[in-house]
Amino acid sequence: MSASPPSGPRLQRMLSLVPWILAHPGVTIPELAARFEIDERQIERDLELLPMCGLPPYTADRLIDVWVADDGAVTVRLAEYFERPLRLTPAEGIGLVAAGRALLAVPGADQRGPLATALEKLEDALGARGGVAVDVGDTGELERLQEAVAARQQLEIDYFSFARDEMTTRVVDPMRVFHAFGEWYLGAYCHRAEADRLFRVDRIRAVRPTGEAIAPERADASDELDDVVYTPSPDDLRVTLRVGPEAAWVAEELPVESVTPRAKGRVDVVLPVSAVGFLERLLLGLGSDAEVVAPREARSIAADAASRVLERYERAS
Amino acid sequence: MTDRVERLVNLTATLLDTRRPLTLDDLAERLEPAYPSDKAAQRRAFERDKETLRDLGVPITIETIDALGGEQGYRIRPEDYYLPELALAAEERAALHVAVTAVRLFGGAGREGLRKLGGFEGTGAAPLAHLESTPALAELFDAVAKRRVVTFEYRGETRRLEPYGVVHRFGHWYVVGRDQDREAPRAFRVERIEGEPSAGDAGGFVPPPEVDPAEYLRADPMTYGEEEPVEAHVLVDATRAAWVIDELGDDAVVERRDDEAIVVALSVANRAAFRTWVLNLLEHAEVLEPLDLRAEMIEWLRDLVARAK
Repeated sequence: MSASPPSGPRLQRMLSLVPWILAHPGVTIPELAARFEIDERQIERDLELLPMCGLPPYTADRLIDVWVADDGAVTVRLAEYFERPLRLTPAEGIGLVAAGRALLAVPGADQRGPLATALEKLEDALGARGGVAVDVGDTGELERLQEAVAARQQLEIDYFSFARDEMTTRVVDPMRVFHAFGEWYLGAYCHRAEADRLFRVDRIRAVRPTGEAIAPERADASDELDDVVYTPSPDDLRVTLRVGPEAAWVAEELPVESVTPRAKGRVDVVLPVSAVGFLERLLLGLGSDAEVVAPREARSIAADAASRVLERYERAS
Repeated sequence: MTDRVERLVNLTATLLDTRRPLTLDDLAERLEPAYPSDKAAQRRAFERDKETLRDLGVPITIETIDALGGEQGYRIRPEDYYLPELALAAEERAALHVAVTAVRLFGGAGREGLRKLGGFEGTGAAPLAHLESTPALAELFDAVAKRRVVTFEYRGETRRLEPYGVVHRFGHWYVVGRDQDREAPRAFRVERIEGEPSAGDAGGFVPPPEVDPAEYLRADPMTYGEEEPVEAHVLVDATRAAWVIDELGDDAVVERRDDEAIVVALSVANRAAFRTWVLNLLEHAEVLEPLDLRAEMIEWLRDLVARAK
């Protein structure tokens, strides 16, 4: 039955639309279209279908009565059984509550505002009061950065490049602040790199306004969060790692370019690497679950890093 | 296709309106547009409608009618169907609209939910956050809300959990609750649950009155674990000290040395997570105690060195 026409979504839409019209007689079609983000034509089609629906034996007094006035005002009668919307599904419930809880966890959010009260009502109705908690982290300069984005303020930041293991100072035009993969990021034009860059907010150690405003022609180029966090460059080193079943997450969570199954449940992944520090940390953490297959000169990276760390233990012991 | 939507609307209305369960014969006799008269085709068409309604979350109850020799009857109980009155103010709906546009997860289920709550008030917001979402989460949330015990496979073992809440932290979802077999609180990373969790009956357990799943948020990933928690001390060089304090808070510092290095204390219930955390600091950190953790770290590093030879 996979080829069935999409009756489901249309029914779903009607089951949300009708209760609203019943509670708001005289609401206009353009208002409905805006409120439910549905095409006006679609709403008209739904309203044309409704008078054919109702209860057996489908006599005039049992069919839904729809009246659309010349000015587009809609009235629906004889549909008491649809006077309340359908309950939320679990996915809808967690989708709403988690989004709300996440936004409320952003530093500076109004803990007593309409979002907080809406969530309480919603959670109570779902029976899940306190059952969803979201932490998006509160990172030192987050609020300052958000203010700078809103005010279009240029900043000088001290940024710790974790991958390269060094502290840098640079002038940036902050464009947006966002949370993804459990971290906060600042998307900004970096005057040092002369390009758009992403900075992990928790690695920004100090923020100083330069006193300059951001040039008006500078606009935020990135619309989507999904693919901006690490964009491999063609210049990045490509490392082939062979990982065991325990480290299979590498293939799922890192931006690998290919995955090739090998014997004993192992896979080879090709991973673009922009800085050696990142690879060192990854390999130290994975231990015997991973090894570098290629390139040749990268094979000793894990052992070299391990020796460096080990040195300090052996010195102290 | 229009016919089918019409029949689905009528089926929903009829099942909602009826006080007694209706058999397929009852429905076939009354409903318009009519089901096929051929019995097998009729049954198939009805099953398909039922499936569509169920996918949308329409709760159809199946009851056995003794008077009809055990035939099955169908109805929708109003109390199962209707969304409870939330009395949301326009500004509250607008706030939820901002939330579902600013925070992305679940391919838009939250938006569909908001339609039921009265649609999209106000203007929404630019994307601000992206939360991972995984299908099992909806089921686990339902289990939290309805107090269903969940059973699932996790790292090769079957676990039975009384779920108290779902918690998002470090970019991952966890389900937290009481593990029935271990008789202790546990947290599981949702995306590591193998296959689909299966949920027991509603009201299958009573959560303790003061339970606050958010408490798990204050813990570190190192405390999410199966092991008996131990307090570990880690020496961190001056160059990384500010960093680590940012992450763990001032309270974690148990010693400040003359060279501005610090010693931090951590509660560790997950040795692998702890090891990863320490190794992220490369040669700028060192496990001091307990000695067995230190020895494990040394062994781990020696293995890595030895493998290259």
